[in-house]
Amino acid sequence: MAIDKNTGRAIKFLLGLLVCWHIGVYSQTESAQTLFAENKAAILQIQVIDVTSGSKSVIGSGFVVNAEGLIATNYHVIQLAASKPEQYRIEYLTAADKTGDLQLLDVDVINDLALVSASDLGAQPLSLAVTEPPIGVPVFALGNPLDLGLTVVPGTYNGINQTSYHPRVHFTGSLNSGMSGGPTLSEAGQVIGINVSTAGNQVSFLVPVTALHKLIAEYQGRAAAVGGMTQRIGQQLFDDQQEKFSRMLALDWTTMPLGQAQVIDELKPFVKCWGGSNSSSEKAQFLSADRTCRSEDNIYLHGKFNSGIIEYQFFWLEADKLNAPQFYAYYQRLFTDFVPGNKADEKDVGDFNCDDQFVIADSVENQRKTKAVFCVRAYKDYPQLYDVLFLQGTVDDSRAAFLSHFTLAGVSQNNARAFVRKFMGVAKWP
Amino acid sequence: MAVIIEVLGWGGKSRHHYRVEGSSISIGRGYQNDVVLSDSHISANHLRLDAVEGGWQLTDLDSLNGVEIIKNPSINSVSADSTSSEIVLADGAEIKIGRTRLRIIADSHPVDAAKELHRLEKDVGQLNRFSIWLPLLLLVLIVDITALYANSFVEWQWKNALSSILFTQVFLLMLALFWGAVGRFLREEANFLGHYNLILLAALVYSASDWFFGVIGYNLSAEFLIVAVAPLLNLMLVAVLLAANFALATSMLARQRWITSVGFVLLLLIVSVANQMQQWGEFSPYPEYFSALELPALQIGGGESVDEFILSLDDLFTEADQLAVKK
Repeated sequence: MAIDKNTGRAIKFLLGLLVCWHIGVYSQTESAQTLFAENKAAILQIQVIDVTSGSKSVIGSGFVVNAEGLIATNYHVIQLAASKPEQYRIEYLTAADKTGDLQLLDVDVINDLALVSASDLGAQPLSLAVTEPPIGVPVFALGNPLDLGLTVVPGTYNGINQTSYHPRVHFTGSLNSGMSGGPTLSEAGQVIGINVSTAGNQVSFLVPVTALHKLIAEYQGRAAAVGGMTQRIGQQLFDDQQEKFSRMLALDWTTMPLGQAQVIDELKPFVKCWGGSNSSSEKAQFLSADRTCRSEDNIYLHGKFNSGIIEYQFFWLEADKLNAPQFYAYYQRLFTDFVPGNKADEKDVGDFNCDDQFVIADSVENQRKTKAVFCVRAYKDYPQLYDVLFLQGTVDDSRAAFLSHFTLAGVSQNNARAFVRKFMGVAKWP
Repeated sequence: MAVIIEVLGWGGKSRHHYRVEGSSISIGRGYQNDVVLSDSHISANHLRLDAVEGGWQLTDLDSLNGVEIIKNPSINSVSADSTSSEIVLADGAEIKIGRTRLRIIADSHPVDAAKELHRLEKDVGQLNRFSIWLPLLLLVLIVDITALYANSFVEWQWKNALSSILFTQVFLLMLALFWGAVGRFLREEANFLGHYNLILLAALVYSASDWFFGVIGYNLSAEFLIVAVAPLLNLMLVAVLLAANFALATSMLARQRWITSVGFVLLLLIVSVANQMQQWGEFSPYPEYFSALELPALQIGGGESVDEFILSLDDLFTEADQLAVKK
């Protein structure tokens, strides 16, 4: 078959590229091979087995962290066994096809970590890094993607993500389901993070190894398995929100304008903000500009229940071409649609309890009349924690309106109250 | 003594009657009879009635289809002798020959007291007038269009408004036609415009109460006024409308009218409650809050201070705790 001149040239060029690339990754491949060979005995597949059917319901990865057989994995891997120990048990499967039972010792739901142990494993533990590697170095994620057997994924360390309250390592590489709970190793073979989640397109996240150090220390300090897992999780959620809100409420909340109102700017590192408006729409009959801030943190509790979310939102509306009744018809439609930012199930939370009132801010520069709605639902297993939803809209101007909203998931009554007070004081239409 | 032979129509109502003098009455299709009936299932000489003590003795004159006794008030006093083929019919007895039902009554038989005309019926001449209907219809249309216009926050399109208005108005018209047909059938007067005007009036009252309760509920932050009280009052409005329609279209007594209308509305209520019953006590992950907003001009009164508002939240937390108690 004849190849014309141009096509031939293009193929030569492509071949050249491939060769260059191949030389470039040669050293990475070598590291990966060595790391895989040296450490595979310490990396396990973690299986959660349904006792009734005898089959695995969930798989993930884990790794041995000390000589006593302590194994680290993700909380979300073993969550079923933690919440329903009578229905699920945990097993490991080594690269050499050896299996055995695992005992759940401790969890850290905030950082999605769990400690389990095997009495009969006898594998050489992985060493945990104590210092953070420099940004850009190659690192290697190990685990069992899609139950395909132990796999190594080379990638790049991109530092601790500065935009979320709970630190996560940004790993440029492909994590797939089943690799959760597996280690990511530096070239020196030290664990620098625990595989936890992916945003797709090579953007993946690891729990920093410091969180694992802390959990191991806590566990060893106690020197016994945690009695009530629910109580432990409840305490972690409570402590976490306590610290988070005390830091957030201590901040000076800076503002920015939205229409004639002033709204809360990005509260770093708690939330990230986005905004938009309909000003480019030709069919728009009114003006609507909004700003939405949302935390990236999402504390996984089970498939239908997550917590730890902070979300606040502002809308500035102007009637423009609409007359007053039409404007209020739209305003009411908008006012109707607010929902909490987290998922929760009947067995986790009670129903929302709501109330609405007319509130008049009594400060000198702000005496607007508003309609304020407050809804709260309590957690069933974790006492003193609530999801709250707040909504406040001005009702004293027929041509413009300012609407503010927040939802807090997993917050104590005191923190919720303090947040409402500060929020109402800062976000306003003077 | 004369005998009245009533030919009965639908619902046992008298269609017309024959008055026959004499002690013996013959009934049949033949023209020589005292009562001549054109029903083709009736024999030429069908039966004879002879005045006796306590009624009329019935003699079947070997008719093809026989005589069926439907009702005989004194059946017990007549000897139920199975061998006797002759029966004595008492005052008020009903028989069926061929396809025709007859009632046999003595001319001394008492009749019901006259029913008082309903106010509405007395004024029906006034209600059943074009000059009332036209302004009412225009008013309803204006209210309809205004409400649609005031609630439209996208580009106004007449075709959308028209489709919505036509839908409601055709429904109201069909309702009026239905009542007109009922009246035409039962009382031989349609009173169509009267019914239509009643329905339009009810539609106006509905719009007004809807708006009124919306504003009051919003000002008092009392959602139950909008979700419970207003719908119940609207059901009562339906009952009143039905009672008025019945008064115009039927000869029911006031008590019957009200029992029927209120009964119908209660049925509606039961159906709608049954419909919602499934959702009672069901968990919802979404908050249900009172989201009504009204124009600043429709607001009366002030509001709480921020401190009072925040203080009031504590109760909500306590109640939320109670809602989250594990069963």
